[in-house]
Formats: sequence, structure tokens, C-alpha cells
Amino acid sequence: MESLIVIREFLDSRLGIGPEKVLPEVLLTDLGVDSLMLVELMFEFEDRFNIALDNNLAGPSTVGELAALMDRLRGEQG
Amino acid sequence: MGKCRVAVTGLGLVSPYGGDLADFFARLLAGESAIRFLQTSDVPVPLAIPFVSCPNFDADASLGRALAGMMDRFAQLGTSAAFGAWQDASLSRDSSEENREDWGVSWGTSMGGTFAVEKAYRELWQRGRERISPMSVVLAMGNAANAHISIQLGLGGISTNHAVACASAAIAIGEAFRRVRCGETPVMLTGGSETPQSYGVVRAWEALRVVGSGDEHSSSRACRPFSADRSGLVLGEGGSALVLEDWDHAVARGARIHCEMVGYGTSCDHSHIVRPEMGGQVRALKAALVDAGLAPDEIDYVNAHGTATTEGDPIEIAALRSVFGERAASLPVSATKSMHGHQLGAAGAIEAIVTVLALREKAIPPTAYLENIDPACKGVDHVTTGRHDRRLSAALSNSFAFGGSNAVLAFRAVA
Repeated sequence: MESLIVIREFLDSRLGIGPEKVLPEVLLTDLGVDSLMLVELMFEFEDRFNIALDNNLAGPSTVGELAALMDRLRGEQG
Repeated sequence: MGKCRVAVTGLGLVSPYGGDLADFFARLLAGESAIRFLQTSDVPVPLAIPFVSCPNFDADASLGRALAGMMDRFAQLGTSAAFGAWQDASLSRDSSEENREDWGVSWGTSMGGTFAVEKAYRELWQRGRERISPMSVVLAMGNAANAHISIQLGLGGISTNHAVACASAAIAIGEAFRRVRCGETPVMLTGGSETPQSYGVVRAWEALRVVGSGDEHSSSRACRPFSADRSGLVLGEGGSALVLEDWDHAVARGARIHCEMVGYGTSCDHSHIVRPEMGGQVRALKAALVDAGLAPDEIDYVNAHGTATTEGDPIEIAALRSVFGERAASLPVSATKSMHGHQLGAAGAIEAIVTVLALREKAIPPTAYLENIDPACKGVDHVTTGRHDRRLSAALSNSFAFGGSNAVLAFRAVA
């Protein structure tokens, strides 16, 4: 499953944000994803794909950056 | 600074009957029990207990999905109740309309986010995870409800939770009352919320052997305070809120005043960690009367703590008889936990609302299913069916907690 889909599902279920608004160029903060919600989203990602994230991972700013990070991590996992 | 009068200008709750405030009081007056038979099977050993829940509560609809997702259920119930009380007080949620930097929140919950705690422990112990949801702390923390309420209503004064077992909300209300009365703030949002139905919490209460028995046929009458055949308390979830406001402030903005809060008495038994002690309750009752400037014979109704435990009920009656003397025999008393259950930390708030409504509506809800009064609980005028009385002028609401903390709230009708 594409990481973007995971992000869209999360934002829809947790924040009621329609998937059509979750576009790669959109700032996460503009979608109401503050630092706490971002950590929660990353936890959801860990849970879904059984990937343990590094605590020192640099935080993404946009939806696209977040999706790219998730894709990279899943790729590294193999 | 002198003492200000304190008006109750807003009431809000998540009703176990699913309706609004008027419906809630009407059903109580009719002696209708909200106690049902709760059965859950997604636990190690299936639960089957009498319980009062709020089945119609839709957190997403009440709060919006984003906000609801930031809260455990106790905070959802509390914030929803707070919004209801705020609206009832004709106060806007838009905090830009006036300076609210000294308006505060005083909330009562004894356990906080029970579901968040349980979920976290299941992840750690059952699934062996090293990480749990980053939201765990903010969901579980005891001040989650008051914090969210302060944020949503734009209140910049004190925002605090009181965790005092079954007296949590009563003490929260009393402390809010003192802050308004002394002039520290013109408005306090107060109340309580609790969700005791998580698996561990229910098992813990069962272990104390104070929980009433019942099955799918008899659960509605499982809580029978003061009854000779009472079997114990019935747990319930809920959220209830009140707006306490400086009287002049309320009048100046044309607020509807439900009644006046006139007194608050509190004490500690300093006797036993769970067993109540008459002397402590007597001190709290007397303190409330003195604080309110009311004589015993001016009290027209007492909403009892009345949990239906074997030990607690007679002690409360003995305390009332001690304080009220000859007046006790004609003092109307009812225990509405017989219908809405024991909301633990939130109990004082729902019962304060019941007491306020009793004064406003000039009607006393009964102790439901009180058909055979325990001789040890006689000596007061037990209200066993809903009673209308135009003379209702002043009333007390009792909350007596584990740990020996006692709180008595005093209210007076405005008409």
C-alpha cells in the first residue's frame, strides 16, 4: 500500500480531513498536523508496517516529504 | 474583599437516558432507572454487571472528529457536558467577545483516561511492544478534561482537576464556588466526568465486594440505597458540568439563573481508608450549613451520597440525624444513584445538577426501588416516589469518599 494512502487514511480517521485535501505539496501544519499528531502518525506507520523508527529522524514538512520518508524506510526494510 | 453571591447559570450533562436536561430530570422524577446489564466478551473473563452507560453519546458528533480523537472517553464526556453548560448559560464559545483571562475550570475525575491506560498496558504487556502511542500521556492524564475545556472555551484562569475518589466533582464544584465568591474570578466552569468501565477498573471494584448484583432481568433495580436488601453500588460513566458565576456579573449580562450556590463544607474522617465515619460527615454537613448561613430547619431536601453499600448508607443517615436533630424525621432525603448509578469522581457533579433542578422545578426525585427501608436507615423522610413541593427553598448534596474526604454543597432557590 502506498504511503500516501496510509497518510490519507490516518488524517481522515483521526482529523476528519478528506483525502482530496492531502496532496504532496501541502504543508502538514496546514492540515492540522502539529508535532504531537505527527509523532502519532509516525507511530501508526510503525504499527502498520512493523518498522521501528529512529527517534532522531528529521521531521518532514509536507505530505510529500512524509510519504517519501515512509517509502524509503519501507524500502530499506525490504 | 467581601463575599460575592454565586449564581448557577449553566447546566450541561451527557445523559444516561440519551436525552436532554429536561428529559433527564423528568425520568429521574418518574423513578426510571438507567441501569442496564453490561456484558463484554472481548476481555480475558467476560464481564456481566449492572452498569449505567451513555449509549447515545457520539463524541465525533458532539466534539468533531479531530477534537474527539485527542481525548479519552472521560474527557470527551466532560468536554461535551461543558459545551452544554456553556450554551445553557448563553455564553459563546468565541472567547474574543470578552476578557476571559481570569475565568477558570475546576474539574473532578478520580481516574482520568482509563481506556488509554488500559490500552497502553495491553500493548506493552500483551504485545511486548517497546513503544506505545505518543498520545498515551495526553489521553490518560487526569487533567485532560479541564485542559481541553479551558482550551476550547478560551479560559485563562486556573484550570485544575481534583482527584478525591467519589468526592472529586463535589470538591471541584466547592472550590470553584469559593473562587467566585471571594471575587477571584467572575466565572468558573466546573463539574466532573468518569469512565469506570474499563476491564481492570471493573474487576478492581468487584474485588472490594461493594458492587451490587443483578442480571439481565433485574439490573435496573440493582442499586437500592437504604433498602434492607441492598446489595451494593452500581458503577456508571458520565459527564456533568455547571457554570458558577458572580451574581452581579450574571445579572448584568441578563443570564438566566437556575439557583444560587450558597455554601460548601468539607472534612476528612481521618479514620479509615475506606470505611466512612459519622463524625467526619457531621463536620462537613455542619460546615456547609454554617458557610451557607442556613439553619437545619431551612433545608428542604438532601440529595444523599447513598451508594447502597451495606456500611455506608446507615452511617450517612446517622450523620443526618445527628445534624438535623428533631428536623431529621421530616427531612426529605433521596439517593438518585439508584437511577443514574455511581459515577465515582463525577458523582458530585450529576448530583449537584439534580439538586439544582430539584430547587428550580420544586420537585424531588425519589430513591428508586426503596420498598423496604433498612431499620438502620430510618429516621429521615425517605422520598420513594417523585414529589412536588412548592416550598422547596434550600437543599444539600452530599459526597462522601474513600479516603474519608467529605464534601457537602448547599444551594438555594431563586424563587
